[in-house]
Amino acid sequence: MAKVIIGCWQDDLIDNRNTPKRLIEDGYPGLDELEKDNRLRAFIGWDGFFIFDREAPVVDMFRAYVQKVQEESCGYCTPCRIGTKIMADKLGSIADGFGREQDLEEIRKLALVIRDSSLCELGHTSMSALLKAMKTMPEVFEQAVRERRPVPRGAYHSIATAPCIEACPAHLDIPSYVDAIRSGNYFESLAIIGRKNPLAGICGRVCVRPCEFVCRRAELDEPISIKYLKRFVNDQIFSYAMTRLRSVEPTPLSSDKKIAIIGAGPCGLTAAFFLRRKGYGVKVFEELREPGGMSAVGIPDYRLPREIINTEVNRIAAEGVEFHYGVRIGRDVTLKQLRSEYDAVLMAIGAHGSKMIGMEGEEAKPSGLVAGVTFLRDLNLLHPRGEFTPPEGKHVVVVGGGNVAMDCARSARRLGYPQVSIVYRRTEKEMPADNEEIRDAKLEGVEIHFLTHPIRLEVSDGKVTGITCIRMELGEPDASGRRRPVEVKGSEFLFACDIVIPAIGQATDLSLISGDMPIKTTKWGTVEVDENTLMSSREGIFSGGDCVTGPKALIDAMGHGIHAAHSIDLYLRGETMGPPESERIFRMLKAMDLPQSPVNRVGNKPRRHLEPRPVEERMGDFDEIEGGYMPKEAIREAERCLRCYRIAMFVTEE
Amino acid sequence: MTTTTAAEKKIIAVTIDGTPVGVPEGSTILDAAQKAGARIPTLCHHPSLAPIGSCRVCLVSVAGVDRPATACNTQALAGMAITTRSEGLFNLRREVIKMILAHHPLNCTPCPLNGDCRLQDMAYEYDLTTFDFSEYLLKTVEFPWKAFSTPILDYHPRRCILCGRCVKVCAEIRGLGAITMNGAGAHTVVEPVMADRESQSRCISCGECMRICPVNAIEERMGSAKGKPWETTKTQTTCTYCGVGCQLDLNVVGGRVVGVTTRDDVGVNRGRLCSKGRFGYTFIHSPDRLSRPLVRNAAGELEETTWTTALTLVAREFRRIRDNHGPQALAALSSARCTNEENYLFQRLARQVFGTNNVDHCARL
Ligand SMILES: Cc1cc2nc3c(=O)[nH]c(=O)nc-3n(C[C@H](O)[C@H](O)[C@H](O)COP(=O)(O)OP(=O)(O)OC[C@H]3O[C@@H](n4cnc5c(N)ncnc54)[C@H](O)[C@@H]3O)c2cc1C
Ligand code: SF4
Ligand code: SF4
Ligand code: SF4
Ligand code: SF4
Repeated sequence: MAKVIIGCWQDDLIDNRNTPKRLIEDGYPGLDELEKDNRLRAFIGWDGFFIFDREAPVVDMFRAYVQKVQEESCGYCTPCRIGTKIMADKLGSIADGFGREQDLEEIRKLALVIRDSSLCELGHTSMSALLKAMKTMPEVFEQAVRERRPVPRGAYHSIATAPCIEACPAHLDIPSYVDAIRSGNYFESLAIIGRKNPLAGICGRVCVRPCEFVCRRAELDEPISIKYLKRFVNDQIFSYAMTRLRSVEPTPLSSDKKIAIIGAGPCGLTAAFFLRRKGYGVKVFEELREPGGMSAVGIPDYRLPREIINTEVNRIAAEGVEFHYGVRIGRDVTLKQLRSEYDAVLMAIGAHGSKMIGMEGEEAKPSGLVAGVTFLRDLNLLHPRGEFTPPEGKHVVVVGGGNVAMDCARSARRLGYPQVSIVYRRTEKEMPADNEEIRDAKLEGVEIHFLTHPIRLEVSDGKVTGITCIRMELGEPDASGRRRPVEVKGSEFLFACDIVIPAIGQATDLSLISGDMPIKTTKWGTVEVDENTLMSSREGIFSGGDCVTGPKALIDAMGHGIHAAHSIDLYLRGETMGPPESERIFRMLKAMDLPQSPVNRVGNKPRRHLEPRPVEERMGDFDEIEGGYMPKEAIREAERCLRCYRIAMFVTEE
Repeated sequence: MTTTTAAEKKIIAVTIDGTPVGVPEGSTILDAAQKAGARIPTLCHHPSLAPIGSCRVCLVSVAGVDRPATACNTQALAGMAITTRSEGLFNLRREVIKMILAHHPLNCTPCPLNGDCRLQDMAYEYDLTTFDFSEYLLKTVEFPWKAFSTPILDYHPRRCILCGRCVKVCAEIRGLGAITMNGAGAHTVVEPVMADRESQSRCISCGECMRICPVNAIEERMGSAKGKPWETTKTQTTCTYCGVGCQLDLNVVGGRVVGVTTRDDVGVNRGRLCSKGRFGYTFIHSPDRLSRPLVRNAAGELEETTWTTALTLVAREFRRIRDNHGPQALAALSSARCTNEENYLFQRLARQVFGTNNVDHCARL
C-alpha cells in the first residue's frame, strides 16, 4: 500500500508533509505491481499527482513528464507541438542548474496557454499536474532556480493512454487509428490496428466494444463509432488486401522453436499471428473444417459474413502460419504427443458445450429441445451448403438475455418460424445483449418476455409441447450490482411451443486434458492458469480465451492471445515470464481508478449511424444487414474523436 | 437519413460580441462571425477544405464554457453568446502566433510570399518580432533533407507551420492521401505515405499541396526567379493540355512566364489543376520552340518567313489539291494541345471550306 505524502487530484488536496509518518493514512492499494523490489516514489497523471516519498525528485520528474508529452504530441496543433517543446527545454535547463527566476513565470504562463488552446485532450490535460504542483509546493521549484545546481534525477515509467485504450482488453491505440482515418490514411490506420489486432474485419462488426462505453465524447453527444470505423478501414482495404495477398512474404523464421496452437478461434488466431511475426514456426490444429471458432460457428452470417473471417485468416496464413483442419486433439492426436513434438503448446479451445439451465424435464432431452450453441453451430455449418434441416415446429422459445439468445431468435426468424419468443428473467435494462441487437430483434418480430423464468418443460410422447414459466420481480441488488430477480409466488403459466432453445450457459469440453496429460481445472470447469503468464499447471502448456475465462467476448479472447504470445516468447527464450511493463501500468491504473475532469468544450455532432436494410428484405436471407460507412461519413465520424490521450507516469527508485 | 438542402435549413440566432445574427443551422462560429462582420484571424482554415482546427489562432470565448473554442470548427448552436475580441483572447492568440513564429525562420526577404503572407501580416498585427520569443530559448530542431512525394516538389520542414492543409487537400480533394504527418512534437514533418511495404508514393504530382500551403513550405523545383507579388502580372487563360479547359493565371514578370496560379472561384476547375497544367509551362520560353513560320525554299531548306506568306501558300496549295483531286484528297488532323473551341473551328473549316469529313484528332485513341 503506497501512502501519499502530498498529492492533488482534481480539487482534492492531500498534504501530509508535516504529518508524522505513522499517521499517513491515504494509501493506494494495488500499487506494488510495477516491479518487485522497486519502490514507488511518485505518480503524475492527467488531473494531478501523488508523491509517496519525501525525497522524490520533484523538478526532474515534471521535466520528464513534459518531455514525455512532447514525445507523444502528434504535432498537429501549435500549442502542444511547440509550447511543450519550449516547456521541456526550460524545465530541462532548470533541472541542469541553469534556471533563471523569470523562467517559472514563463512556464506558468505557457502552461495555461497550452491547457486552454490545444486541440485535443492530450494538450488539455498535460499541464494540470504541473500547474497544481507549482501551486501547492512553489518552494521546490523556486529552490531549484535559486540554487542553480543540477537537481536529483529519477527513474520513470510512462505511458500514453486514453479511457478507450484502457477499456479495450487488447489495448488498441484507438485515437491513433481514428486519427489516421481523419487524414484519409486508411493503410496506416489498418497498420495501427494490426499491431494489436489481426482481426479488424471481425472486430469491426461484432466486437462488444467496451471502448465505446467509456468514450468521453458521450459527455458531449454520443460515443465515437469506434467499431464501425474499424470495419470501414478494413473494408476499404479488403479488395486491395486480396490482390496483394499473393505477394506478401512470410516473416522469415528466426527461431527453430515450434509452437502448436489448439483451436483456430480468435484467441488461437491472434496468438498464432504474433508468434509467427516473432519468427517462430507456428501450427494451428482445428477440429472443424474451417477457422474462426465461435465467430464462425456461433455468430450468424448476417452479423459476420464468413468471407470476412476467411480473408483475415488468409492474411494470417500468408504470414506463414500453418493450419491443420479436421484434427481434434485428444482424439486424433493426444495432448502428450503434441507436447513432446512442440516446444510450447497453447490451448485455446473455447467453450462449445452447453450447460443445463435447471428446468425440470431437460435431462430427458426430448425432441424439440436444442441448446443455443448447438442450434447455431448446425445452422452455421450446414445452412450455407443447403444441408440444414431446422427442427420441426412453429413456435420457438429462446431462453436467455445475452447475444447468443438474440442470435438464436433472429436466426430462427430468418429460417421462417412464424412465432419466436425470448424469455428473460430480468428487465430490458439488465439484459446483457447489445441494445442494437435487442432493437433489431424486436424489429424483426421477436417477442421478448421480460421478468419471466422457465421452470418446467412440458413434454408429450418425447416431444416438447410447451414450457411452464413463472413471473419474476426485481429484489435486492446482488454482488454484480444488478437487482436479483425473485419469483412471484403462484404466477406460473404455460407457454405452448414446439421448440425450446436454452441460450444461457456454455461449457468447455475438457476431455483432451483428462487423458494422458492431466492439467488442473477450476471449479467452474475452466482451465486453471497463472494469470500473469497464462501458463497452465503443466510447464510449456499455456491456455487462453473462453476456456480460461468462461464464455466472454472476442476481444477478451484476443487479449489473451496477445498475452499468451508474449509469455510463450519469453518462455522459449528462457526468460522470466510476466506481463510487459505497459500491461503492468494498465493494471495499476485500473487499481487506482482515477476519475477524469469532465470534457470542457462545446460540441454537438451526434454520431453517424449506419443505415440497415429494410426488415422485410433482410428477413429473407442471412446476408449482412447494413453496409459500412462511405469515406466521407467515416472521415466526419473520425473527426468527432476528442483524442483523450493522457499521460501516466510512475516514478520509482531505480 | 434525411438530407436537408441549404434552402430549407433552419435559421438559428446567436450573438457575436453582443450583436445578434441569424445563421443556417450547422454553420460554424467563424461563419457567424463573418456574417456579423467580426474579423477572426485564421491560418489553417481554407474555404475549400473541411475545417482543420490545427493552428489555434481563431480562438473565441463562448459564454458558459471555461475553455476558449476554435471558431473554424465549432458549430454555432442556437442562443450561443460568442466573444471574438477581448484582452484575454488577444493575448492567447498572440501567444499561439508567437509559438508558430518561434519555429519558423523569420527570414522574409528571400521568400516569394514576402508581402503576400498571412503569417507575416499576423505578426505585424499582433506586434511580434524576434525579440518577443528570444525568451523561449527554444533549442532548434534540425531536419535532414528528405525527398518529398514527387521530384517536382521540395518540402522545407523549417518553414512548415504544420497547418495540415496540404495533407487535407490531398486526401479530401485529390482523393489520394499521398502525404501525412509523421514524427512527434516539434519533430513533426509532412512526409509521403509509403503504404503497406510498398516503397512507391501514390502522389500524382498535381501540386495541390503546394498551392494550398500558406507559407511556401512546399515549393516547385522549377528554378527560383519568381518575382514578388506586386511586380507580377496575372493573365487568365485556358490550359492547353486537354479538352477540359481549366482556367489558370499565367504569372508574368518582365515578359516571362514564371509560374502558374489559380483562383478558387474561377472556371470549371475551381482552382484545381493537374501536373501538366500547373508545371508544364517552361516550354513557353524554350529556344527549340517555333515562334515564326518556316517555308521550304527552292533548295529544299526551311527558311523563316512572315505569317502572310506562309498562310497564303497553305491556302493556295490546299485549294489546288481540292480543285485537282477533289475534297476527299484532303484530311484534317487536329491536336490535343488546342482548346475545345479551336478544335471545333478546325473541323468546321474541314467540313465547310474543304468539303471533307476526313476529320481526326490525336487524342481520339
Ligand atoms: C452465438 C454467439 C455469439 C457471440 N457473439 C459475440 C459478439 O457479438 N461479440 C463478441 O465479442 N463475442 C461474441 N461471442 C463470444 C465469442 O465468439 C467468443 O468469446 C470467442 O470466440 C472466444 O474465442 P476463443 O478463441 O477463446 O474460442 P473459440 O472461438 O470458441 O475457438 C475455439 C476453437 O477451438 C476448437 N477446438 C476445441 N477443442 C478442440 C480440440 N480438442 N482440438 C482441436 N480444436 C479444438 C474449436 O473448434 C474452435 O474452433 C459470441 C459467442 C456465441 C456463442
Ligand atoms: S497531441 Fe493534441 S494537443 Fe498535441 S499537437 Fe496533437 S492535437 Fe495538439
Ligand atoms: S473521444 Fe476518441 S480518444 Fe476519447 S474516448 Fe472516445 S474514442 Fe477514445
Ligand atoms: S502533388 Fe498532389 S498528389 Fe502529390 S502529394 Fe501533393 S496534393 Fe497529393
Ligand atoms: S507544408 Fe504548408 S500546407 Fe503543409 S502543413 Fe506545412 S505549412 Fe501547412
